Amino acid sequence: MDNGLRLGVFLCDCGGTLSKATDFLAIKANLEKLPDVTYVSISHDLCLERAREAMQKDIKDKGISQVVVAACSPELHENDFMNIIQAAGVNRYLLSMANIREQCFWAHPDKGKAAKKAMAQIVMAINRARFLEPVEQTKISVNRDVLVIGGGMAGIEAAIELSNLNLKTTLIEKEAILGGKLNQFVNLYPVRVTPGELLAAKLKQVDERQNIDVLTSAELIDVSGEVGNFSARIKGGNGEFVRNFGAIIFATGYNTQFSSQIYGFELSNNIITQSQLEEMLKSSSEVKETPKSVCFVVDISDEHSRVSTLSALRNALGVKEKFGGEVCVLCKNLKVDGAGLERLYRDCRNKGVLFIKFDIPPKILKQDGEIRIEVEDVLMSGEQVSLSCDLLVVEETSIPPLDSKVLSSTLNIGLDARGFYQENNVHLYPVASNREGIFFAGNCHADLDLMRALTEASNAALSAYQLLAQEKITVETEKVMVDPDKCRFCLTCIRACPHHAIQEVRVNHEKMVAQIVDLACQGCGICAAVCPAKAIKSKDWSDEQILAELELLGEYV
Amino acid sequence: MKAKEAFLPDIIAFCCAQSAYQAADTAGSMRIPYPENIRVIRVPCAGRVDVLHILRAFEKGADGVLVLGCHEEACRHLSGNIRAKNRVQKLNTLLQEVGIDGERVEIFTLAPNQGFRFARIANEINERIKELGPSPVK
Repeated sequence: MDNGLRLGVFLCDCGGTLSKATDFLAIKANLEKLPDVTYVSISHDLCLERAREAMQKDIKDKGISQVVVAACSPELHENDFMNIIQAAGVNRYLLSMANIREQCFWAHPDKGKAAKKAMAQIVMAINRARFLEPVEQTKISVNRDVLVIGGGMAGIEAAIELSNLNLKTTLIEKEAILGGKLNQFVNLYPVRVTPGELLAAKLKQVDERQNIDVLTSAELIDVSGEVGNFSARIKGGNGEFVRNFGAIIFATGYNTQFSSQIYGFELSNNIITQSQLEEMLKSSSEVKETPKSVCFVVDISDEHSRVSTLSALRNALGVKEKFGGEVCVLCKNLKVDGAGLERLYRDCRNKGVLFIKFDIPPKILKQDGEIRIEVEDVLMSGEQVSLSCDLLVVEETSIPPLDSKVLSSTLNIGLDARGFYQENNVHLYPVASNREGIFFAGNCHADLDLMRALTEASNAALSAYQLLAQEKITVETEKVMVDPDKCRFCLTCIRACPHHAIQEVRVNHEKMVAQIVDLACQGCGICAAVCPAKAIKSKDWSDEQILAELELLGEYV
Repeated sequence: MKAKEAFLPDIIAFCCAQSAYQAADTAGSMRIPYPENIRVIRVPCAGRVDVLHILRAFEKGADGVLVLGCHEEACRHLSGNIRAKNRVQKLNTLLQEVGIDGERVEIFTLAPNQGFRFARIANEINERIKELGPSPVK
């Protein structure tokens, strides 16, 4: 039977280490008996330069049409092997890999059983290879401008980083001035610069750059297009206008809110929030009555908030510095999980701030102008402590900015359970959104202190640079495609696509069908799985390929 | 009893390339042993696994099928793991109705660094399928 398939199998024994576990020659002999397998070679180090050259030569000489590599995990070198076979004139998607190192010989101490499994894995990869299809690549020119939304610290830092990388940046800010929360904070402990100094230094940098365009009192209305060619509608002081960008960074920050439900009482003139206290500390005019004793309560509403704990510590020091008097912080578990935060806590203690640790939320009673707090001190084995203060400062919960809900639905970006932007994968892609070319920085998607927010801003800027460094980006064309004849236009895929990568088009002036936008597609194949008409084919993970791996089940186990 | 001991189930694990597949790699790199009769099929996302794929695995003689994806809220493709979960849960009842134990299919979530968890899941499901015996489709 001649189906035109000429499979080449490249075995790698990882520098000879895997040969100790099994006889590669026997595997080779077995594989050579399989139909369509034209060529089998054993190498000791496929990941090294010289073996690569030999591999390319073999592919060319033997006229191999599909390549099977049995070596380490595809997570390590799949991309390298793709490049090798592409250089040898075979389409880079005509590669199938068998993981015989991590998932066979390393995991299973019994050599016989591991060898059997390795054989099975290789046969599975060969079966898969029969159904591989080429995917072509094209280059698409991109707009190299970047839009940064939000002129807080993270946004400013991202814009400066982008400008350093020679990308033209537009920074838009909702308010009339840049700075965001820096305009509100009293100090930035544990960082030893004042918010004013830091902001002035950064703004000076922004001013000096020719390639940063700052638009204040401006808002993003909506965005159309895909990565590389977004066009954003912006409402500014001079009315609405449209600008084109290659990537977008969200640095919209957070708002705070006091929740009286959690505390069971309302704010009053001697019960105030952190931001009210900050305003009070910030005002240059003397406060009429200096509070002699101030109490902070944290950890009641949101046990996981880094921002609220941090602001309690900072403001406790701020109060000590401005008013003197007694300062007491009631907390459950202080989280000092960042550079310098432990030192900040120690500074507070050295300056005389008293910390009381509770398990059960303290009772707060209002008695003629004074506030009495009754709390069981955990560190004094639950002894009842009763104290009174002039001013009680309660924590606030972080809430997402008002417009994030609207923006997320117009742009199709995911939100998390609390309404903040959802990053693509917290571990692997911490600043990427679900849409290609849209990134997050700062507290609009996570609970971060200043240093972490700055790191994120640089990270987001670099991610944008990675996309736009070249004037053209490489895109796989029709890696996932819809068969217009089979498509019944039920919209299931359009609703299911997590990356907003499927659009509706009209074919031949009549039928409406779904179409995959190659630029936005990230190849997850969810659409192929949900399509009731099986009209969608994912070329690198097609049904045929996955089903082919299930063939021969039982024979090699 | 002896037959039960000798029974080596065929188990197919559809592993998300973003998490579970890497967890299996981690298990290997850390030399954490797990039953070798579990065979991994790499998929781009747990959401790519169709009911068809799982049913075909049983048709071809699998005794158990695992779908391994990312932890909730950590899916690279946002909703892929949740879709997979719903699919598997639907399949549990469907299989029960046609006379295959629904427990033969199960979905778990992992992070790429959870090699121990991968091995534990593999052991657990292997024991469970051994207990259930060979698939009636075989």
